[in-house]
Amino acid sequence: MTPFEVKDCALLLRMSGLSPAGNLRELRERITGCSENVLFHHYCETTLRTTFDNPDYRNDFAVWAKLYLGDRVLAERLGILDPYTFRSLEELRTATLEVIDERLGESLMVPWARPGDELFFLESTTVVFDAGIRITQPSRLGAFIRKMTNGSAYYHYLEARRRPPFGKDDFTLWLMENEDANRPYILALASVDFYFHSLPHLRRELANVLTEAKVAK
Amino acid sequence: MSAPLSAYEGIVGSAVIRQLRRMGEKLAGARIVHVISTREGGGVAEILEWMTPLMTELGLKASWEIIHGSGRFFEITKSIHNGLQGHHVAISGKDWKVYEDVNARNFGRLRPVLEEADVVVVHDPQPACLIKLCERRKGKWIWRAHIDISRPFRPVWKVLRTFAEKYDASIFSMAEFAQPLPHPQFLVPPSIDPLSEKNRDLDPAELSGARAEFGLDPDRPLLVQISRFDRFKDPIGVIEAYRIVRKVTPVQLVLAGGGATDDPEGKAVLEDVLEAAQGDPDIHVLLLPSAAHKTINALQRLADIILQKSTREGFGLTVTEWMWKGKPVIGGDVGGIRLQVVNHHTGFLVNTPEGAAHRIRYLLHHRERIREMGGVAKEFVRNNFLLTRHLREYLTLFLAIRSGKEEPILQV
Repeated sequence: MTPFEVKDCALLLRMSGLSPAGNLRELRERITGCSENVLFHHYCETTLRTTFDNPDYRNDFAVWAKLYLGDRVLAERLGILDPYTFRSLEELRTATLEVIDERLGESLMVPWARPGDELFFLESTTVVFDAGIRITQPSRLGAFIRKMTNGSAYYHYLEARRRPPFGKDDFTLWLMENEDANRPYILALASVDFYFHSLPHLRRELANVLTEAKVAK
Repeated sequence: MSAPLSAYEGIVGSAVIRQLRRMGEKLAGARIVHVISTREGGGVAEILEWMTPLMTELGLKASWEIIHGSGRFFEITKSIHNGLQGHHVAISGKDWKVYEDVNARNFGRLRPVLEEADVVVVHDPQPACLIKLCERRKGKWIWRAHIDISRPFRPVWKVLRTFAEKYDASIFSMAEFAQPLPHPQFLVPPSIDPLSEKNRDLDPAELSGARAEFGLDPDRPLLVQISRFDRFKDPIGVIEAYRIVRKVTPVQLVLAGGGATDDPEGKAVLEDVLEAAQGDPDIHVLLLPSAAHKTINALQRLADIILQKSTREGFGLTVTEWMWKGKPVIGGDVGGIRLQVVNHHTGFLVNTPEGAAHRIRYLLHHRERIREMGGVAKEFVRNNFLLTRHLREYLTLFLAIRSGKEEPILQV
């Protein structure tokens, strides 16, 4: 097998240029017109962002609906949307708008946030660089993941799903070079319900399942 | 003198340090110049004190320059500062002329280094108009606004914007602080240095020494607020909260703050605070020199209850420092304090002296919550608000802006 080249990435947040949303109708309008990068940021890059909180939901729209619109029904419906199960960001956008439209139809008034509690639309610039680490043995993958940065775990396991071939993480693609021999590791990686993990937790979880697969093998 | 990067490995882990070194390799030799208005006092100078040597250690040619000005210049820039934070201030055309003239004199002195730099980071409004003067600049210029300018006094912003929009990019601490500008606006929260004199662990003898120095009673709860003597920090509101609590619990209060050379208004606020204290022997008003980092550290560690009852705030680095010491914070529901203090999780957000008094009494009666919330707060700072994260974001910005590309993902 070719050695696995570990990359690392660092995220830099930037303003999208969209006006903030102060109520649910404005949220709908912004999501309709925002770029895919904005959508991707608020659904997927939240794990890489600095925070003082462990929010209930992984995507910013659900968190905002709960904390600032005070609409827990909407928060739950948005919160369960897993962006990695959609084939494209456009499909994710459609599903998000569907949830919002359903809620607007149910509501007697448009849920709104207090001034100062608006949702700001962000995107990011991600710089990717060689981490200078090479993994040669699949049996050592778990140990490397345990020690790698959050940026590396994000880039290879989450962000990779956005790149062709769609929906596959880099570790799995590498292991598939020798699919039969590496099947336990491939299945172990596929068994993780990853979307709801923080990155430190995700690294631990991936390392644990790969270690268990190694023992079983 | 700041610590080498390797000294942080035990706090943040080796992977984080390795990541910074890899990024530094990509920027080796890049000339980075920071420009600020004071070397003493204030969070910005503290950040540059560690950031510049660490950038140098990573292979960048980093330096920071100070602009010099008269007392009048700093009175004007303080008004600009207040105006950007929404205060109605009077700044005449003559004042703006003084502002530009002082910047022009400084530009004459700094010209070679500014013209040759690969990246110039200009901090806050005081030196913002340097860009207008540096017509032969070769590198990228970034305006770093540390304060909340989301609702500025429009006449002040109208003038300052003419300088700000000339930059290649700007940096704000939070999205909520930004103003629309015709260039990329990045978001980089500030950070603290866990090994600095203000944040390092202190031994018991150092703590008891500080307690004795300020005549603090070890047997009574201690409330502390440490920040500049500034109306937006609401020290009078803290005294009001203390008086409400004092009716039922014999607490002590320390209001400590340093003066910065660019803050002439501080003296007037200090006088108001002393008047409000009315000679109460349990209210300790301390004007600390800008180098009293160890004293601040000791007071933070001696405190039972921490307050940062600002009515307007930038990021609020003081709050981050409290949290690193494992203390929950009762903070004003404004600015960056809202980002850091999560109710019942890392502290409490309050809007009034009455609200602050209520939370003080709650925590004094639930001591176990102080320990729990303090522990959570410390881990969030470790993961998100130490200087290593801050340094990484600056390196990311330099890599991105020097590439000249607009793609969301850049391979370097």
